[in-house]
Amino acid sequence: MQYKSQSVAKLYFIAAIGLFVAQILFGLVMGLQYVMGDFLFPHIPFNVARMVHTNALIVWLLMGFMGAAYYLVPEESETELFSPKLAVLMFWIFLVAAALTVVGYLLVPYAGLAKLTGNDLLPTMGREFLEQPLPTKLGIVVVALVFLFNITMTVLKGRKTSISIVLLLGLWGLAIFFLFSFYNPDNVVKDKFYWWWVVHLWVEGVWELILGAILAFVLIKVTGVDREVIEKWLYVIVTLTLITGIIGTGHHYYWIGTPEYWQWWGSIFSALEPIPFFAMTLFAFNMVNRRRREHPNKAATLWALGTGVMSFLGAGVWGFLHTLAPVNFYTHGTQITAAHGHMAFYGAYVMVVLTMISYAMPILRGRAANSNKAQVMEMWAFWLMTVAIVFITLFLTAAGILQVWLQRIAATPMSFMDTQDKVALFYWMREWAGVVFLIGLLVYIWSFFCKGEDKTAA
Amino acid sequence: MNMNARRLDFIFAVLLIGTALTWWMGETGHAGPAAVLGILAIAAVKGTLIIRDFMALRGINVFWPTMVIGWLLLVLGIIMGGYWKGL
Amino acid sequence: MNSPAIADIKVHHPPGDLAIWVFILAELLAFGVFFTTYVVTRMHNVALFDEMQLTLDRNAGALNTVFLIAGSWCVARSVAAIKLDHRAASARWLLWGILAGGGFLVVKLFEYSAKFEAGINLATNTFYMFYLSLTFFHFMHVILGMVILLAVWLKAHRGGYSAADHHGLETGASYWHMVDLVWIILFPLVYVMR
Repeated sequence: MQYKSQSVAKLYFIAAIGLFVAQILFGLVMGLQYVMGDFLFPHIPFNVARMVHTNALIVWLLMGFMGAAYYLVPEESETELFSPKLAVLMFWIFLVAAALTVVGYLLVPYAGLAKLTGNDLLPTMGREFLEQPLPTKLGIVVVALVFLFNITMTVLKGRKTSISIVLLLGLWGLAIFFLFSFYNPDNVVKDKFYWWWVVHLWVEGVWELILGAILAFVLIKVTGVDREVIEKWLYVIVTLTLITGIIGTGHHYYWIGTPEYWQWWGSIFSALEPIPFFAMTLFAFNMVNRRRREHPNKAATLWALGTGVMSFLGAGVWGFLHTLAPVNFYTHGTQITAAHGHMAFYGAYVMVVLTMISYAMPILRGRAANSNKAQVMEMWAFWLMTVAIVFITLFLTAAGILQVWLQRIAATPMSFMDTQDKVALFYWMREWAGVVFLIGLLVYIWSFFCKGEDKTAA
Repeated sequence: MNMNARRLDFIFAVLLIGTALTWWMGETGHAGPAAVLGILAIAAVKGTLIIRDFMALRGINVFWPTMVIGWLLLVLGIIMGGYWKGL
Repeated sequence: MNSPAIADIKVHHPPGDLAIWVFILAELLAFGVFFTTYVVTRMHNVALFDEMQLTLDRNAGALNTVFLIAGSWCVARSVAAIKLDHRAASARWLLWGILAGGGFLVVKLFEYSAKFEAGINLATNTFYMFYLSLTFFHFMHVILGMVILLAVWLKAHRGGYSAADHHGLETGASYWHMVDLVWIILFPLVYVMR
């Protein structure tokens, strides 16, 4: 570790992994409720499990991004963090707010929670992924602004690199687009229209910049390839991402009451969205092939390559599958979407955060890389989780295709619930794949506690 | 003036003539399969000249001219197919 | 001792930076998808497309083609000049190229304003949806190309490129030619062919 203040990243990484576990546990609960509808009812109803599953994901990824930024920015800027104390304080505020929110979800019925937290003052609740009560949302804004202030000041006082600038651009975009979660027009079309400005422009816009910056940083470190080369790729990827991603928002506007041209714009531009992901895959492999050093941390390199491949498959290929308007006419809101969501989130954002953790955590703990034994265990975790997510995706895709057929294409379409019964077998298989994923996650956590000979000291 | 510049000037002249031809075919209301073929042929010539001489892919590793000229011919081919089927 | 290696690189890589070529291929793919969609949609709406095409300003389209090929030619001459180390001439050619791009933008803006005054917008019909989207997407590329050329010109103007080192100039030039190349298809496709 070059700068003392980088150590605040550790807190964020640990909390992120903790929330990751919670996310997976609730995912398993929910997966089971797909086939055993009354499982844990009335204590954890499906809608609550789903809320915790998705919100925990978002929060732990945000924690991961923040940790990554706190680690990355001092090193890129060649200076200590502007205020490490502020970073620690914000961590606790964020963690407590997240914990209180989850407790609120679990203990109070959602409508009661809304009343309790002043949703009538400024209605913001009830929208998918943005279910957080008003105080939590305000807390997120405060934490994000203080975080951005801290990071931006650090960059301003130190060296300015392309990586830190792209990262800042992504993080500022993240904060700015979140503000649309406070805008709830009464008009349902407008409501959906701007809702996507948060949801879509996050995951298919600014988050990709964060992803690119983190990946570029780790690749510079583990491959030793010239910064110039890596930065050039980063610019190409960022430009392609923004052009395709921003107009690609149109693929959410097909059936919500917006003008027809969105079907064309959305189809064409989102059909091109795999390109930046493909460029990212090429980029990762190219850099590793041209490496100038053999970094002792093999696990981090594996995660970086995995991000390249899985983000292309999950976000690129599985996104493309149902992005064209004529296809989406039949597939929207089916398990095909769920299949895409699982692989894309894992392949792009989960993996890039784990790449960063894999690279930074050993250094934060005082060594260049973990022992061979720990790395082997971490790679086992990599394969278990990755293969499990591939199977989850395949089973959900199968369920989705069958669902589309039975419910929407067949001569005598079945009702939603009857269709769900027909695809139950795939839900069972998905659940078992989920169990394998959990095992992989436990192996991953175990690898942090695995003792063994350190190959090198930092 | 050197040879290279003279060549570029010559190509510019050819491109202008090609553009004038295309415009003239539009003005005189040329339509139908033969006109489409003619216009696309002009576009193919113009595009190839731009790729080989302006973009300077002449004499480069065969991969690059193949990709770009291949793209040009593919797109023109698709257009021709679509027009012939639609006409 | 390096000369064979340099010759080797020259033969293997296109002029300018490899990254810009990856970008150019991605752009070409994007426009390829756009053109294909146009053609397929036209197949199902031949009468509408043929009728609406006649309402376009073909003269403006042709004039703009001239602007773009002239711009492309100027920039090619700029690269040719720098290879002989004629720095001032190279910068001057570059400026002419940028001006040609400016001419394109002006003509296009007149064309757009005429259409908007006639009350045409994206929702008018499928043909106009394509006309506006395609040309506007290309319009943005002309602007981007001009911004790149302007950055290159600023350096060229200061004598920053030479016969030995004009990598950046070639990078900008390659992108600019791509913008021209795309229009070479777009003009006949949207304005002329029927």
